[in-house]
Amino acid sequence: MSGVVPGLGSIGTISPLPKLASLQPEEGHDGGGFGAILSSALHHLNQLSGGAEQQVGNLLKGVGGDVSTVMIAVEKADVAFQMMMQVRNKIVSAYQDIEKMQF
Amino acid sequence: MTSGPPMMSMLESYLKLNASREQTISANMANIDTPGYRTRDINVESEFNKVLTGALRPSEEGADAIHLSPVFHQVQGLMERPDGNNVSLDHEGLMLAKTQLQYQLAIQLIQNHFHQTLSAINGGS
Amino acid sequence: MNLFDSLSISGSALLAERQRSEVIAANMANAQTTHTEAGGPYRRREVVFETRGPSAFRLALASNSEDHGPTPGSVRISDVVDDPSPPQMRYEPGHPDANKEGYVAYPAINPTAEMVDLMDSVRAYQLNASAVAATKQMIQLAIGILKS
Repeated sequence: MSGVVPGLGSIGTISPLPKLASLQPEEGHDGGGFGAILSSALHHLNQLSGGAEQQVGNLLKGVGGDVSTVMIAVEKADVAFQMMMQVRNKIVSAYQDIEKMQF
Repeated sequence: MTSGPPMMSMLESYLKLNASREQTISANMANIDTPGYRTRDINVESEFNKVLTGALRPSEEGADAIHLSPVFHQVQGLMERPDGNNVSLDHEGLMLAKTQLQYQLAIQLIQNHFHQTLSAINGGS
Repeated sequence: MNLFDSLSISGSALLAERQRSEVIAANMANAQTTHTEAGGPYRRREVVFETRGPSAFRLALASNSEDHGPTPGSVRISDVVDDPSPPQMRYEPGHPDANKEGYVAYPAINPTAEMVDLMDSVRAYQLNASAVAATKQMIQLAIGILKS
């Protein structure tokens, strides 16, 4: 058989697709890189908005804290929220791009 | 890149210092007729310098936890009335105007900072 | 430390100055009152200003105070006292309040001095009212951070 089509015998030596080491989940992480990014952003956001909420409550009760501090905390939480929304959007869009890829 | 506290913390500290000063000035104005009352003030510039040089950072985490403890001083050079009160209407009015403007400046810088951050977050898509 | 505390402090001064001007107005209105229910002429009255201690003020500024009492640095009228000056005696023998020598005791009130005092009180009131406006503007600026 190898005489009919020269070089056919060498097809069998094509190596499988190289492992994309960077896409492998790291030890101890479930769900891979995207999940970790999202949950870390979420955690940061929760901290900021929880703190902001408490400060607003204190301000309304008339206890301690200054208006400016509270406003800044609220704005920071808002910025963090928007950042998380953008991160989420990017991740979803990247995921959809990957889904569309056909092999 | 400075090794001092982040921009937002610095602006917030500057803002708080000016608010403290405003409160001190309000107290001076309120006591313009109190016998024996002496005008007091805080030096925003030198207190802010302590923030810039990182002298006020606590050792534990939380980069925003700058603890302000402004030092009060007696204002010199004011005329004293017979009852010992030295509060000057004009002096306090002037200091109040200056403090207001500095406060406004800090607010504006803070707003700009947030706008930039938001632009960076939202404008890239 | 709180900008709202500044409002309390200025507010206390507005109240105190208003009380002071009321006392002055009463003095002026009664400058000719030769007898009162308590007997004798009207006695001129003065107000005594008192401030909340400076040490409490310093402490409150450094911490987040939850004190619901009077804000440190604020002022109040602690007392209204009678002027101990002796009454002015004027010779008016036909006056119903004249004594046996024919003198009437008038309150020791100088209208001009009272007027100057009143103007002083008004100026202090205006000063503290401008402090309220300044504090209010600063609070509104802070709120404006959220309006971007």
